[in-house]
Amino acid sequence: MKMKNILTILLALFSTMALAQVKKGDVLIKGGTVLTVTNGTLENTDVLVRNGKISKIGKNLRAPRGVETVDATGKFVMPGIIDAHSHIAGSAINEGTSQVTAEVSMEDVVNPLDVSIYRALAGGVTSIHLMHGSANVIGGQNETLKLRYGYTNPDDLRFEGAPRTIKFALGENPTRGGRSRGIQPQSRMGVENMIRNSFTQAVAYKKKWDAYRADKSARKVAPEYDLRMQTLVDIMNGDVLVHCHSYRADEIYMLMKVFSDFNIPKLTFQHANEAYKVAPELAAFGASASVFADWWAYKLEVYYSTAYNAAILTNNGVTTSINSDSGELIRHLFHEAAKTQKYGNLSDDESLALITLNPAKQLGIDNRVGSIEEGKDADIAIFDGHPLSVYAIPLMTFVDGVKYFDKATDKGDMRLYVNPESSIEEVMIYDRHDDHRCLEGANALNLRELFSNKK
Amino acid sequence: MKNIKTLFAAFLMLTIIPLLSVAQEDDQVMKARSGKFALTNAKIYTVTNGIIEKGTIIINNGVIEAVGANVTIPADAEVFDYNGKEIYPGMIDGGTTLGLAEIGSISEANDFREFGQLTPQMQALTAVNPNSVSIPVTRVSGVTTVWTMPRGGALAGTAASINLFGYTPDQMFAGSKGIVMTFPSAGGGRRFRRLSPEEAKKRQERALKTINEAWDKAELYAKIENSDEVRSYPEIEALVPVVKGEMMLFIETNSAKDILATIEWVKERGYKQVILTGVSEGWRVADKIAESGLSVITGPVQAIPTRQSDNYDAAYANPGIMSKAGVKVALRTMEAENVRNLPYHAGFAAAYGMGREEALKAITINAAEILGISDQVGSIEVGKKANIFVATGDPFETATKITDLFIDGYKVPMTSRQIRLYDEFLNRTPGVDKSKKAIDIKKR
Amino acid sequence: MKSFRMLRLHFVLLLSFIALHSTALAQSDPSGKSAVTRTYAIKNATVISKPGSEMKDATVVIKNGLIVNVGKNVSIPDDAEVIDASGLYVYAAFIDGMANTGAKRPESIPRPQNIFTPDPPNDYAGITPENSIISQIDIKSSSLSSMRKAGFGISHSVPYGRMLPGSSSLILLNDADHMDEIVLSKDVSLYAQFVGAPGAYPGNILGIMAKWRNLYRNAVNHKNHTELYAQNPSGLPRPVNDRVSMAFHPVIGKSKSVMFDVDDMLDVRRAMRLQKDLGFNLMIAGVKQAWDMIDELKASNTPIFLSLDLPDEPKENKDDDKSDEVKALEEKRLEAYKLYVSQAAELQKAGIKFGFSTKGTRGNKVKANVMTMIENGLSEADALAALTTNAASMLGLDKVAGTVENGKIANLLVSTAPYFTKKSQIKMMFIDGDRHDYEVKEKKAKKEKSTDSKASETASTSNDPVAGDWSYAFITPGGEENGKLTFTKENGKYTGVMTFEDGTPDTDLKNVNYREGELAFDFEIDGGGQAVQVVVVGNVDGKNFEGKATASVAGQSFELELTAVKDGK
Repeated sequence: MKMKNILTILLALFSTMALAQVKKGDVLIKGGTVLTVTNGTLENTDVLVRNGKISKIGKNLRAPRGVETVDATGKFVMPGIIDAHSHIAGSAINEGTSQVTAEVSMEDVVNPLDVSIYRALAGGVTSIHLMHGSANVIGGQNETLKLRYGYTNPDDLRFEGAPRTIKFALGENPTRGGRSRGIQPQSRMGVENMIRNSFTQAVAYKKKWDAYRADKSARKVAPEYDLRMQTLVDIMNGDVLVHCHSYRADEIYMLMKVFSDFNIPKLTFQHANEAYKVAPELAAFGASASVFADWWAYKLEVYYSTAYNAAILTNNGVTTSINSDSGELIRHLFHEAAKTQKYGNLSDDESLALITLNPAKQLGIDNRVGSIEEGKDADIAIFDGHPLSVYAIPLMTFVDGVKYFDKATDKGDMRLYVNPESSIEEVMIYDRHDDHRCLEGANALNLRELFSNKK
Repeated sequence: MKNIKTLFAAFLMLTIIPLLSVAQEDDQVMKARSGKFALTNAKIYTVTNGIIEKGTIIINNGVIEAVGANVTIPADAEVFDYNGKEIYPGMIDGGTTLGLAEIGSISEANDFREFGQLTPQMQALTAVNPNSVSIPVTRVSGVTTVWTMPRGGALAGTAASINLFGYTPDQMFAGSKGIVMTFPSAGGGRRFRRLSPEEAKKRQERALKTINEAWDKAELYAKIENSDEVRSYPEIEALVPVVKGEMMLFIETNSAKDILATIEWVKERGYKQVILTGVSEGWRVADKIAESGLSVITGPVQAIPTRQSDNYDAAYANPGIMSKAGVKVALRTMEAENVRNLPYHAGFAAAYGMGREEALKAITINAAEILGISDQVGSIEVGKKANIFVATGDPFETATKITDLFIDGYKVPMTSRQIRLYDEFLNRTPGVDKSKKAIDIKKR
Repeated sequence: MKSFRMLRLHFVLLLSFIALHSTALAQSDPSGKSAVTRTYAIKNATVISKPGSEMKDATVVIKNGLIVNVGKNVSIPDDAEVIDASGLYVYAAFIDGMANTGAKRPESIPRPQNIFTPDPPNDYAGITPENSIISQIDIKSSSLSSMRKAGFGISHSVPYGRMLPGSSSLILLNDADHMDEIVLSKDVSLYAQFVGAPGAYPGNILGIMAKWRNLYRNAVNHKNHTELYAQNPSGLPRPVNDRVSMAFHPVIGKSKSVMFDVDDMLDVRRAMRLQKDLGFNLMIAGVKQAWDMIDELKASNTPIFLSLDLPDEPKENKDDDKSDEVKALEEKRLEAYKLYVSQAAELQKAGIKFGFSTKGTRGNKVKANVMTMIENGLSEADALAALTTNAASMLGLDKVAGTVENGKIANLLVSTAPYFTKKSQIKMMFIDGDRHDYEVKEKKAKKEKSTDSKASETASTSNDPVAGDWSYAFITPGGEENGKLTFTKENGKYTGVMTFEDGTPDTDLKNVNYREGELAFDFEIDGGGQAVQVVVVGNVDGKNFEGKATASVAGQSFELELTAVKDGK
């Protein structure tokens, strides 16, 4: 190889490496009430952040030279909030054109320019689980992100090292798709059958490839490659965590049985409005649930809901989180978590865990985030009052020790890319019923989905 | 002589009665009751007359008979000791579809939208389902009165105030009605609509023309309505009371431009009882609204800003900015099943500039005044309807629990389907047999 | 590899000359349009032979479609037609990095019975990499003459379609009797875009990205299998005659690049991501937003063609009492606009070479938009390089086109003034040695009237309030759809066709009715695998149409909006 070529390659490598580096911050957060989640509440305590990690928690810590100090006296310091179910920051949500699309991945459609990211930061959120929609039985793979708003490269928002996850969907959404198109599934029976068939096919696929790999001959022909089947194999190998859109107790129970049969150990039920009815079974299986604080009655399968869902689950030993599934709700997940104190008397730590440690566990990132502990990532939110109070106002949000939101210096217009041909007075009136992107793909009779397939 | 039938019946009774009694224990029918009640030792937020640190309220015949720190408790009153608790007037939501919408995605279960652009004669009160599961779910959170409204066309129908207890719409009716109108927008609209300013302006003008024609007709009708020859014209007749100043007109208007245009329109028309609703961008033109003297029902407060370029907290701050500018503000959730979150919308408004006292007014006395029912509800005053709730503390605080509830003087049981499901499933029987695997694993 | 391609190119060229000559000799020309000679001498011209190199009072001699001499004192052949080019400027004709020029939109593909399957038919799904633009070329296409009129001599033309429409070709923008005469080089790159199939898999970018990986990896296996089999077939299963995989073989072997049509920044990144995952040679074209990835583009060395379609300059609110908020928003919008118009200059500053693509741009906007880029920092030399030499080298044409030099194809642009000035007008184009003249307007170049045959067509129907082309905006929940509505009136009856910019097949308009200003029509489109019936009713007000579109599907209906503006002079 010529020297020049080698140099070019080195240069290219170097520059991509340089680009992949996101900023890591150093900061000393002094004198706050630290809600550690895993180690109770520490009054008047300092948190020192070095190079994006929490390096020390204690009293009277000194800021090393050049490290900025944030005075948190009288303020509350909590781990950054994690939303286990979000559809902000996605250029597309559903590949709803087929009932099994395990091969597609939200990592391809991350939209770092969405101003909703900033608005979520302004609600103390530091990580989201960007999910595929729920139009099909086996949807697409999701992507866990850190809300590093300001970077325009989607890769810079990735939660490096987070496990792969995938979306499944049960109940009304996939069966409605089947009914409107005159195909299976049109019932919960059909949904089960489709999942079982898919895994059975994947087992056969794996066999073929295992045989091919075991074949020592030089003259061998590879079987057909199928990214869809390969993804299902990865699920069975435990490399991809399943997050399943579900509502009714019977379908939740059904999927646990299917997963038992295929020896898939980890499972999180999303929405799971009726999970409370099978809480003991969930606990025994080791499945977890990510639920709304109080959304219900928007469709038949959530009519028999109760706002006490999260509390019943928690009291039965199920790892539970509270999610938003909404660009609005995501901005006050701390308030949504507090509702479990009204509906079920959860303690402060239990309530806070619903939006920090527990979603981190469900996403397989609890070794990195979800609590304020030495060695963990410095993803931190500071509030002016206790975050479970309705009056609490988020003041600052840090990701990797870098401040991405500061109420005191908020600039208002935070759009990153502005359409030069847009009207400056474009007004959209908020309607909660529009802000439900998970259902966006779900409802085949909803034109929003029909047309969204066009781009 | 006992025939076989009676024997059989007796047998049945023997077997069923024990079952029934068990059932009664688990799922007891709890009924509301009325009477003469004395609510004592509570901190009372009257809203209109300050706070009574340790006071008593006497409820009799459905109304508040006495309130104060030194009230003599009648001998025949049932006494409730609320020591350590706080009493508030029932909260009032200034805009909902409660009772009209049961299950969102099922159109058969939604009755707030009628076909057509001009349907002001359509009565929301007619379609209120007193047995909606959402009603008990809402009232146990302290919301006792709501404005329930038709939605849809330019003049969607007639909304009504209802109390959240009763078995017929008339038992629930809280005493006021109003026409609901949507002011044509020049500023875009809902999430997916995108028009150029010129296009939007044109559309607005055209839609406004239709609305103006209807009102012109109503004004003419008002002049000639006593003539024997005048035709029956329900759509227009429904508007006549507004023209005559006898009925309220609620105009939905949101963008700054639309709000200003609406104020102009109201001025030109000269109608007496007009309320602006929505008013999402009220903060941009708060002074102009204050100048107009019009009252506002705004919300939801927990909402995303109307523009991509807006501050993230624009919607939270909106009610506070308007009230500081001198506008009389009430709040609404625009919900059906989650009207119970009204105190949290108020809490957010309070935190982002409105202050707790104003926010409390916004969902009690201001709402009552704006909805024309302040002689009945909205504060704890002698002679007003006994719509009251008892709380463990500040009702805006998320963790606070509502412990007791009075609507129309009835002590309403603190239960709802959601609470009953909690009771049933917190410790489910049977649970999981720990000796066996929770899920049978098929050996492969 | 490259030299082999060049060789082939010359061969094709040679063939085309023979074809031209034989037809010219075999037939007389009663129309009187043929030239007497194909030898020209352009005298006394200012020749910009390549960016930054200018010769005054020079002569360019063209013979047999090639430039045979350029210089100050060159001898003029006997058979030459001498053109006095005093005061005129001669440039190499431009090269368009990506366009549909010359291609005819294929008939819409009928929807298969059941498209809601993991594997819909390839042609419906838009997976036809084995196709070539050659099958879509229409020598009568007005796009050939209109892009030529805009100064282009060669177009890297890509086929219409969806995700993988087929291979592109280099097309000479010349008149021809037969398509082969204008095809300079066939199947140059594999064309790809992020366009999903209506209602079928892959329906959007999610599916497209996954499908790409799947197709490519299978193609790699297929190629290995094919090669193994070619060595010795004995005992091996026969490789399937899989046309899709086979179309990828040269891409895998890197003898053919993938040209990705990408406009926004995120699409650019998606294309680069696929390249990184799979390892093919990538070219990107139609790029509108690259200012945030200059370092990456430079590091990756990806050939890049910027879009010539620029946003309109935002108009300021002229109110005196406009608020500070409005002022700030206007300023921010203007800044955003500047990013678009100055990104060419930014790339130039960073030392990145780029060409231009006219896809989505009208010919008569080309010069104005290049001038806008120059006003925003792009040097004239670099603008010219982007239009000529850069494009030539990125498309492997630098030996045959892009400069005014001996031996190159005689593709020339003759302008009345230095091209990058407001007043300049194109007076002549030479394509493949053939001369095309244009009327030069005395006064304002702006009011230049189209001499296209199409213009006369519209003129005859321009009195009709409906007949003609309309640009519509259909506001759907998934965003705004744009395209054309074309109405024709015959025997008092209207018919119409609707086209979509996003690659959705054209659809016929049904029940077109017009009475006293009210226009109604309906059409059917595909949404999520179901037929959506759309009935449009609205009013025509001069050149504007505003309509309500009622979309019905499975017994439910939704009200949407459709507005349109009539295209005119």
